[in-house]
Amino acid sequence: MSNFIFGRYLPGHSWIHQMSPQSKLLLCFYFVVVIFFANNLPSYGVLCVLILVAILSSGISIMYFLKGIRPLIWLIIFTVLLQILFSSGGHVLWHFGPFSVTDESLINGGFIFMRFLLIIMISTVLTLTTTPLAIADGVQTILKPLKKIRFPVDTLALMLSIALRFVPTLMDEMETIMNAQRARGVDFGSGSLKHRVKAAVPLLVPLFTGAINHAENLSTAMEARGFSDSEHRTKYRLYKWQGKDTISWLIFILVGVAVLFIRK
Amino acid sequence: MDTAVSFSQVTHTYQANTPFAQNALDDITLQIEKGSFTAIIGHTGSGKSTLVQHINALLKPTSGQIDVLGKMISPETTNKNLKAFRRRVGMVFQFPEKQLFEETVLKDIKFGPKNYGVSDQDAEAAAHEAMELVGLDKSFSNHSPFDLSGGQMRRVAIAGVLAMNPEILILDEPTAGLDPKGHREIMDLAKFLNQKKQITIILITHQMDDVIDYASNVIVMDQGKVVKVGPPEQIFNDPEWVYHMQLDLPSSAEFAQQLKLAGVDLGELPLTVEQLANKIAHLVGKGDTK
Repeated sequence: MSNFIFGRYLPGHSWIHQMSPQSKLLLCFYFVVVIFFANNLPSYGVLCVLILVAILSSGISIMYFLKGIRPLIWLIIFTVLLQILFSSGGHVLWHFGPFSVTDESLINGGFIFMRFLLIIMISTVLTLTTTPLAIADGVQTILKPLKKIRFPVDTLALMLSIALRFVPTLMDEMETIMNAQRARGVDFGSGSLKHRVKAAVPLLVPLFTGAINHAENLSTAMEARGFSDSEHRTKYRLYKWQGKDTISWLIFILVGVAVLFIRK
Repeated sequence: MDTAVSFSQVTHTYQANTPFAQNALDDITLQIEKGSFTAIIGHTGSGKSTLVQHINALLKPTSGQIDVLGKMISPETTNKNLKAFRRRVGMVFQFPEKQLFEETVLKDIKFGPKNYGVSDQDAEAAAHEAMELVGLDKSFSNHSPFDLSGGQMRRVAIAGVLAMNPEILILDEPTAGLDPKGHREIMDLAKFLNQKKQITIILITHQMDDVIDYASNVIVMDQGKVVKVGPPEQIFNDPEWVYHMQLDLPSSAEFAQQLKLAGVDLGELPLTVEQLANKIAHLVGKGDTK
């Protein structure tokens, strides 16, 4: 777990850190869409340069990003291999039984690899530079139009921010309970499947009862502080659209248009 | 006396080799004697809990090694074959009532011994004995642990650890959040186990009065380092240093210190209420000074 950097936040004061979360989130979606338009080497080259610029401007070392991808590399390689070995069409270079490698499948495999890499990179840039609470606020701002069709945006945002807030708390609690049960002779993560499932009970029951206790205490405390419904609230944290956001969007739109022209 | 626990040059770094790396223990060397009652004090985040989790190998040192009851724990120690060893070191975590999960109190207390391969009958006998030790009536046996009060849940949890018959018992703030009566009962239980059953007790606490009343040996930690080891009288004889460590004096010493500031010097700091009373009586000149 400790090597897994996806979803963690590193405090900083870089250009990307200071952008507003809603524009970062949308920029992320936009970039993912652009990735799927790219279909030849130059277009992927442009996107790689852009992602490199984004990583450099976040002020976090590239080595750290590469290390963070390592746990996912097997998933990527597995998918790419499936693509290469089982796709048909194009000139056959090598085949053995049901497997065949064609020039087209090699190219497609390469593209899939690039897509995976770019998507993981951009979302890692987002999560490393944005606090979970800011992401929740960003989601709320983006989903605001859905209020028109009576979608409970504020309630969802509240649930999201509480959930995000309690992830580390529950993780800590899980760690403590695991240690306490280990000290009472439970072996986690060893033995047969049946044994492992049985070992999870002394962990899950206290974790659930703990979560229910948290929920009860939190709702009481919220009511005591005057919370009645999630609408009709004012906001403490305000994220304004700044010059930085506009400039970043301009760069990304330029690159997007360039990709559309370069692609075959 | 024999040594029960011996740390030599132990360091521990959380999340080593990441930007989140945090040095929690820094070159710790210390001994804890068999049968002693050791208190570990230090302000929040000084590494006390990290230190004690090394004693039953829940955490392994990043470097250095630890000898616990003849078992060597080094950075290379794996989680395999630790079971038999962990039975000998009982650990009561902060708010241990959070670890209860079984349907009945009895089953939960039996859980520990049964994990270590004790037969059902023997586990039940051990459970009943442990319940008696912590002052839980037999009638609670078939209650669900979740129906009990906070203090009773805490006792069930402690009984669950005692039922394993540990040779070393680690208590991490066992009285946090208890009322004064519950507090005294738990501390008296620790004293009883220490004196009558010769169990080595290691206690993490923020209550300096408990340190004076119960501990025979004190370890003071600050920023991952052991800064002072000695009997309680020696630890508290320098008020300036105690404040500097962001610790408190025991209440009697604190009272004497306030008197001193007001111009009444009692001489050497009294640590217990009795010592304080004697000194004041001596000062006003009609006291029993024996």
